[in-house]
Amino acid sequence: MNIPNSSTAPAAGEYAGDEVSAIVLDPGYSSTRAGFAGEDVPKSVCPSFYGQRDTDSGLHYAFGENAIHNPQDRLDIKNYWGSDGIVEDWDVATKLWEYAITDRLTGAKATDPTKNGLNDGNTNGDSMDVDIEALENNEKPLEESPLLITEPGWNSAKAREKYIEIAMEDWGAPAFFLQKTGVLAAFASGKASGIIIDVGASHTSVTPVLDGMVLRKGVQKSPLAGNFISNQIRQIFKQSSPEIPLTPHYLVKSKTQVDAGSPAQAAYKTFANPPTDSFRFNEEERVLTEFKESVVEVWPGPGRFSNGNNEEIARNTPGRPFEMPDGWNQVFSSERFRAAEGLFDASAALTSDTSPRPKDEHTIPRLVQAAVQQVDADQRPMLLANIVVTGGSTLLYKFNERLNYEINAIYPSTRNKLIAPGSVVERKYASWIGGSILASLGSFHQLWISRKEYEEHGAGIVEKRCR
Amino acid sequence: MASGRDVRDMLGLPMGGDAPKAAIQKRPKLAGGSRKIQGVAREVAALYGERPPPVAVYEEKKSYRAKRQNTGPAKKWEQQAFRIAARRDDLVLRHWRRKHATAPPVQAPDDTKMEDGENTDVQVPLCAEYEKYDVQVDLPTFTDDEYDVLLRSEDWSREETEYLLQMVNDFAYRWAVIWDRYDFLPFHKLYDGGESAKGDADQALAAMPFAPSKKRTVEDLKARFYDISAKLMKHRIPEVHMDAEQYSLYEMLSKFDPVMERNRKMLATALMNRSMDEVKEEEFLLTELQRINMAAVRLDAEREELRSRLDAPTANSSVSAGLQAFTSSQSLQALFQQLFQQDRSKKRASGGGTGPGRLSLSANDMVHTPGSAQAQLSAANRRQSMASQPVAQTPVKHLSPREEHRYNVSTHERLTSGVTFGSDKLLKMRQAKSNVQTQKIATALATLGIADVIAIPTSRVGDVFETLVTKLGKLLDVRKVREKEEGECRVLQNMKEGGGSGTPRGDNMSETPKPKSEIQDTPGIDADGEDDDDNNPNFGDDDAPGEEEEEDDADGDDDGDGMEDVDAEGEDESSVQQSRATSQGVGGQSHKRSASVFSQDDESEISTKRARK
Repeated sequence: MNIPNSSTAPAAGEYAGDEVSAIVLDPGYSSTRAGFAGEDVPKSVCPSFYGQRDTDSGLHYAFGENAIHNPQDRLDIKNYWGSDGIVEDWDVATKLWEYAITDRLTGAKATDPTKNGLNDGNTNGDSMDVDIEALENNEKPLEESPLLITEPGWNSAKAREKYIEIAMEDWGAPAFFLQKTGVLAAFASGKASGIIIDVGASHTSVTPVLDGMVLRKGVQKSPLAGNFISNQIRQIFKQSSPEIPLTPHYLVKSKTQVDAGSPAQAAYKTFANPPTDSFRFNEEERVLTEFKESVVEVWPGPGRFSNGNNEEIARNTPGRPFEMPDGWNQVFSSERFRAAEGLFDASAALTSDTSPRPKDEHTIPRLVQAAVQQVDADQRPMLLANIVVTGGSTLLYKFNERLNYEINAIYPSTRNKLIAPGSVVERKYASWIGGSILASLGSFHQLWISRKEYEEHGAGIVEKRCR
Repeated sequence: MASGRDVRDMLGLPMGGDAPKAAIQKRPKLAGGSRKIQGVAREVAALYGERPPPVAVYEEKKSYRAKRQNTGPAKKWEQQAFRIAARRDDLVLRHWRRKHATAPPVQAPDDTKMEDGENTDVQVPLCAEYEKYDVQVDLPTFTDDEYDVLLRSEDWSREETEYLLQMVNDFAYRWAVIWDRYDFLPFHKLYDGGESAKGDADQALAAMPFAPSKKRTVEDLKARFYDISAKLMKHRIPEVHMDAEQYSLYEMLSKFDPVMERNRKMLATALMNRSMDEVKEEEFLLTELQRINMAAVRLDAEREELRSRLDAPTANSSVSAGLQAFTSSQSLQALFQQLFQQDRSKKRASGGGTGPGRLSLSANDMVHTPGSAQAQLSAANRRQSMASQPVAQTPVKHLSPREEHRYNVSTHERLTSGVTFGSDKLLKMRQAKSNVQTQKIATALATLGIADVIAIPTSRVGDVFETLVTKLGKLLDVRKVREKEEGECRVLQNMKEGGGSGTPRGDNMSETPKPKSEIQDTPGIDADGEDDDDNNPNFGDDDAPGEEEEEDDADGDDDGDGMEDVDAEGEDESSVQQSRATSQGVGGQSHKRSASVFSQDDESEISTKRARK
């Protein structure tokens, strides 16, 4: 036996791990994560955007990273999520989730022994009966694995029933469970209670969790998240003089080096049937994502970016260069702080005709305040000592410093502690990891909603069991 | 079978045969065990002598991770189907388990196939490993009768009560969650059930735009639940039969006060919502307090050291540091008095411009004594703790003269600084401005039969002694004056006798050298006289009041007066002639001379004393 140390796995009885090869599905606006419970990262991460191609032979869907970035004519890029943070297009969602699961996890099933021609000689009546049933099950992709799906904290009861229907009816899962992303993100950080600040692509949510249960009254969400920052960057590009051109990769055939700020000299591709606007928009978002990752910085405080001479200080810090796909490049100095400032200070957000000024109560500090307000006074200090930060947009440079400053400004008398996993994967996929932990626990076996229970009680059981 | 050893054991005999054997076996072991040490280590070991080293020293060997033991061929694992004991339904899940060695590996695929093929319900093993996590919540239950008799409430319907219990069960007493999810809609249920007219009325009430929304707080829920629990508990187990644990639980349940709880939470919220400034102020005050405490501790340590040096009784150490000076009400009273005095003296200092009194706590005064530092500390404390409160006026208690006398209380306009002994005071009184005077006083006191050291110099004794000494002083003065006057009288008489011989002026001119020479002839006396002049330049001044008080002579007479007079006259005999001779001179000179002459008798006294010594 090895001596137990930090790198050896704990004994089986110690952490109550008992893996039943459950599948965890964590759909988000930007990406859909799927993987086997008990693993530390999702094996399958595919974009939640999908391509829809209306051809003569009917609708064709394109799923996966490779498909949606391929410039084809009449390829519309869409997302199945609604603007309210609840799945809108259930048909496509089912298909896309199924793709995410089968593409990397379960794979195509082997042909049944009765059909693969190897057992042709064997004509046994008994086995034939069984085969028919097996054949039926075979069409369902998940018949062997219990399924855990994550849902946003504000999911409607109707949507929740839809999840279990998909899992049971369409996929034939033997067991199912639905858990909120907030709870799972807290589990991923080893916390049963806390406030979870999740800044994703489409929505920012603040979820108070107590002993693994969401306090529903305290759940707050706002549209100020990653996509909002992308829009802010677009406006920065538009408002700068001269206007900064935004050319996605697929349009550029070749580029030559140019000086900073001077117009790009690139050869562009020409398409006989140019792709749709939505395709271009999606490709532009990819460039903006890169910009967010490499240039945008959050003003770390103290004070807001617009306060005092903070802007002056920011101007004096070294800027960051960025080069567009077509070779245009520039060093961005103080304007890179402006893109994300709207998350914390609504009045600092850039506005235009299409994007009105965000509401004050949608900024992250106000969300946290509202969420804490809805919690029993006895629990507030404990929750504030466990603030879990998750979501891809929290990876913005200095985001945590600013958040820490803002929360300490609101609650100076409590011990506020931010828990933000250092690794990018853990930050981005926290709720999946939490689900992976949960579904691999032996003590979780009794919580699954079994097929039998579903058949007995109907879809309404999900309200009763998954709370 | 029983060996000889066993028999011996049974009979309690010593292990005769075996004991030496064991010893023999042991000895070589011991010898082999202590391995021979080489090199420098051997010398070090020699330093220990025969005894074992105090710390067991093990030579650390280079060790690599143990080689992975070959445990034979790779173990087989299989995906086992299992049922879960904690579940009511027969959900079958699969997990990987090590394959039991008993089952031949060849049959494994067959087994799985069999499982797949057949109805597995019977064969699937039950996994009870995690059954312990299936925890049920203990809840109070009641029957319809019990509800009607005990639990009826105007505010709570039966349905809502049951809903509450269900919620408590679902969320396992997590009140924050229960309150969060609590969403009881009475009319929905009533509507579903098609209830009576009362229900309709309720529904109408609830549907009304101004219907009082039954928004229950956590405290409401808790109060109802605890009330139910307490009543049921009391109903099941009468109070007299409860054991201690049950009774404390019952008491806790029945004593729940939602109003107090609500107030407590309001306070907690207020505490949490303090502004940055308030928090900073608190932090500042806390650091200040810490600083003060540290200073107090240091001060106490210093005082402790001082006390131990002075061998004084130790102060009450149980009281927290810094405050031990103020344990009793008296000392507190004293503190107040001190502070009050401080204020007054400050006022006086600013207004009247007089110097700081004994109790003033001005900076230069308080630096040195520990007591004043304590006062400073307490003053600082006071400034912080009751900055806004006015200083309490301590009532001054007036004592009757009798009581004052009894308690030996004395009032002083002003006190001299520092501590004085009563005996010092008495000693001081004995001393006059000149040694001569001091000697005279000492002689007078000696003649009165008063000892040099007075045994118990109480304040009263001091007072009496003071009056005595003042009287003595007067007496001495008067005597001096008398002598002077007598001398004058004699001189004048002489002048009168020899008046016909010549003018006093001419006489004076001619005569003066003579006495001078006379004096020079007796150098000892002269020197003494001159010394007196030098040492006591104000001696003449003393005379002046003496002259005025001439008439007080009778008044100042003591019983020893006559004696002294005689004594003085007797001693004066020698000097009288001199003075006669000298006082032939006129005016100021003669006056001065007379002074010196008068002092001579003092000198003679001194000389006699010297002689005595």
